Amino acid sequence: MEAISHAGTVLGVLAKDGVVLAAEKKVTGKLLDLSASTQGGYGGSGEKIFLLNTNVIGGVAGLTADANSLVNFCRSAAQRHLLTYNEDIPVELLAQRLCDLKQGYTQYGGLRPFGVSILYAGYDPHYEFQLYHSDPSGNYSGWKATCIGANSGTAQSLLKQEYKDDILVKDAIGLVLRTMSKTMDMEFAVLTLDPTTKTPKAKIYRPHEIDALLLSEGLTKKDEDTEMKSS
Amino acid sequence: MNSLAQRFSNNGPLAQIGKATSLVSEDDDFSDAAWGSEAGFGSVAKGVPTFTVPNVPDPTAFLRLHTDDHADPSCRIKIQHGTTTLAFRFQGGVIVAVDSRATAGSYIASGTVKKVIEINPYLLGTMAGGAADCQYWETYLGMHCRLHELRNKERISVSAASKFLSNLVYSYKGMGLSMGTMICGWDKTGPAIFYVDSDGTRLKGDLFSVGSGSTFAYGVLDQGYRWDLTDAEAQELGRRSIYAAGHRDAFSGNTVNLYHVKEHGWDFIGNYDVNKLHYDGPGDVAGSPGHGYGYDVRTVGLSSANPPAAAASA
Amino acid sequence: METSFALTGKGYVIIAADTTAARSIVKMKVDEDKIKALGPHLLMAYSGEPGDTVQFAEYVERNIRLYQIRNTYSLRPSAAASWVRRSLAESLRSRHPYSVNLLLGGYDTASYDPHLYWIDYLGTISEVPFAAHGYGSYFALSLLDRYHNPEATLEEGLETLKRCIDEVTKRLVVSPGKYKVKVVDKDGVREVEI
Repeated sequence: MEAISHAGTVLGVLAKDGVVLAAEKKVTGKLLDLSASTQGGYGGSGEKIFLLNTNVIGGVAGLTADANSLVNFCRSAAQRHLLTYNEDIPVELLAQRLCDLKQGYTQYGGLRPFGVSILYAGYDPHYEFQLYHSDPSGNYSGWKATCIGANSGTAQSLLKQEYKDDILVKDAIGLVLRTMSKTMDMEFAVLTLDPTTKTPKAKIYRPHEIDALLLSEGLTKKDEDTEMKSS
Repeated sequence: MNSLAQRFSNNGPLAQIGKATSLVSEDDDFSDAAWGSEAGFGSVAKGVPTFTVPNVPDPTAFLRLHTDDHADPSCRIKIQHGTTTLAFRFQGGVIVAVDSRATAGSYIASGTVKKVIEINPYLLGTMAGGAADCQYWETYLGMHCRLHELRNKERISVSAASKFLSNLVYSYKGMGLSMGTMICGWDKTGPAIFYVDSDGTRLKGDLFSVGSGSTFAYGVLDQGYRWDLTDAEAQELGRRSIYAAGHRDAFSGNTVNLYHVKEHGWDFIGNYDVNKLHYDGPGDVAGSPGHGYGYDVRTVGLSSANPPAAAASA
Repeated sequence: METSFALTGKGYVIIAADTTAARSIVKMKVDEDKIKALGPHLLMAYSGEPGDTVQFAEYVERNIRLYQIRNTYSLRPSAAASWVRRSLAESLRSRHPYSVNLLLGGYDTASYDPHLYWIDYLGTISEVPFAAHGYGSYFALSLLDRYHNPEATLEEGLETLKRCIDEVTKRLVVSPGKYKVKVVDKDGVREVEI
């Protein structure tokens, strides 16, 4: 729990036609090799936002090493479901699978629980777009908009004020960016439905795409850059 | 008249009479099993002893050793078994339709087999089972039909012709003949169909289908059959039924041969490629539906979904 | 011999199965229901080895019910069919494989369309617009190729089913006497008289 309150903020907003996820990047700097997120892969630096399955994006806050292990578990659980049922795992079921694991570590002696909270942004035909949060104890809950990590309280109250039911993805993106405004180095992802195939389409933004997005929303990144150069 | 049948009926009688007389004189050389039932044909010669069996102690065992059999799949000669043939009687005569595939085990030996044997201008025989058996004995039947005409100055009835064949194959029962045939024609009594097989079964009826694909043909045939079908409808039904079997039965297919027997004798209606029937239909012919027979061709663009009006527009 | 048919139409699946339970040459029962409702919008007809059939059907029934209890919603037809297929495939390589052939029909309330799956004891699955098991399939499939209409109303669908049953009754030597017919559509499952 302690680790999570210091971790980089992860923020999710559920819209009518999609889900938006953003995360503050902690490991950053000029010398960091970003080639993995600028070219190749599915986008994202793989620090906080992960594609868990075709229909679910996960945002993690907490101990990075624990998180990687849980992401790996999630992906396996999703594939296992695909193998037996030939369908994408329902979002809640995926959250449940992970919570069963997390809970197990709180129950048996000699083991340390996973120090990770996760946001799941997903889609399934049963409940369509969904946003879930799970904490290290193995509790999970569904949200319209929520936030985990450092300063989550402030962000949460901001979201509470600004969130409107029936919000659309394009407005949700603005809301997320504005809430995250303090942190300019971030990871960003959106889950929508492909308009032609009606299947979930997860997009994890690449750094230059995030820059373009910030620019279009009137939130520039310039000062951050100069700050970095000077420091 | 069919040239093959003609050739047999021209030089057949001479050879026949020669053989018959020689046989009559040395009667006791033949075992009873080799002799056909006389069945009213005693006047021709004694029985129908023009087919000799292999000169071995046990011809049945000899045949089994060399041919396809359930007991021995590793045989050397495989006999054509897969087939679909059908014939039905209706107000406008008789429709005869067959496929054209010959298989030897899993191998398609030919896709252009003529499974309708034109016995004479008034009689058709279909071919299912052993191709050689059907071809040989039905041509042989043609020869005897011609002899009957010459002797009695009138055409043989379908009933009599089929009975001759039936008695003939019965005399070889248990020796490995394999035939399932329909003798179709038009005689004094009108259109007629007789089913004759190598077990010795002979059945008169309105509608038959024979071969490995017969069940599939029956499915379409029975459901579309009426006595008062028009000529065009009947031809289409025959075509569609063989297509159905060609589509569903692995041992049938390639093309459809269609015949129509009327009072003046049989007419060959046409040959249709099963693949073409599937995708394009029979083309510009009587009874054509104007599109392919294939299920997916026929139902393209149709959907079983029934979303509520609100969901459909979304 | 055991025979079952199924066909889809506009917003529904019809499943029919004969009602005889035979042992050797004896008809032990003439009103056996061989179609199970596995959920609010899911039907399954089963046939095959006596004993295996009911055991397997109940195993499936209870597992699908368990999923429903755990998740509050039931499996979609495609997911249920995939699960059933996998169960059979795993059983096939076990010491005592289930010899059961299935027709699984359901209405997907999420996508508003009917689904029909043909599954055999080897674990073969195939989504089809119409299907049949047993000797009846030899007569019915060509007939359905000719007469099936994906947009048929329920009345028309039952009419086509009737053709199948009539044909089998007419041509199959060991044709079963009576059939039970069930329908699944947006309103759920129900039995219909033919």
